[in-house]
Amino acid sequence: MGNEAIILFIILGLVLVGGAFAMSYLVSPKNVTPLKEETYECGIETMGSSWIQFKVGYYLFAMLFLIFDVETIFIVPWAVVMKKVGLVAFIEILIFFLILGLGLLYAWKKRALRWE
Amino acid sequence: MERILFYLIAAVIIVFSVLTVTSRRILRAAVYLLFVLMATAGFYFMLNYNFLGAVQLTVYSGGIVVLIVFAVLLTAHMDHKLDPPDRLKALAVGLLSLFGMGITLYALRSFPWAVTALPEGAYDIEAIGMRLLSYGDKGYVLPFEVISVLLLAAMVAAIIIAKKSTSND
Repeated sequence: MGNEAIILFIILGLVLVGGAFAMSYLVSPKNVTPLKEETYECGIETMGSSWIQFKVGYYLFAMLFLIFDVETIFIVPWAVVMKKVGLVAFIEILIFFLILGLGLLYAWKKRALRWE
Repeated sequence: MERILFYLIAAVIIVFSVLTVTSRRILRAAVYLLFVLMATAGFYFMLNYNFLGAVQLTVYSGGIVVLIVFAVLLTAHMDHKLDPPDRLKALAVGLLSLFGMGITLYALRSFPWAVTALPEGAYDIEAIGMRLLSYGDKGYVLPFEVISVLLLAAMVAAIIIAKKSTSND
């Protein structure tokens, strides 16, 4: 890992995305009709603006996602050295999971995981 | 090579930071912020801070931006373009930013930067994991367990707030 890897990553990213667009531009047949220019070619037209207020339920799921996301950050270093440290590491992560499991249990009990 | 890469990433950060604060559409500003955070991860990878880079990508560009975007989707008038700020405010903020930049530059300039060689692999995931799980000297097992309590508190708080607002409507 180093500068070469980052440069390779940037170049590959550009080539992959740019290449996909370029290929489809070169290969695809072009036969434009007004129907094809529609936003939803195979669906119905939207009524009004789609920039409407969303349900607050989405936000709850985003929050829960973020919390488990942060949790992953702490599990990854544990997983890397788990075998090296041995049983102690296993007990430590069990305590970690137990406390977080309470949170999941709470969410379950409060029906936060249910879509209403 | 390193210098070119540094300036490239710095340019990306600066351009998208300016776009974030100048964009009049709030959702677009959130997406520009995503690019800023991802470019910042690039710096961490350049410094061989692989773990921190991964954290930056998963938590900041993966989690925080999702949270911001969802918060934007919750606002009632998100198609509403923000009004451009008036001249006086823009001037005041500009001066204040320049002042802040001056202080930061002064502090950076006056700091005696000493070049020290880091031991190989001092910040890789394995070293972090060993420290995190060790209960001896310089071990961080107590903070590691306390973090789970913090996350639990955050989870309960999020559920309470979100449940309250759903039951109201």
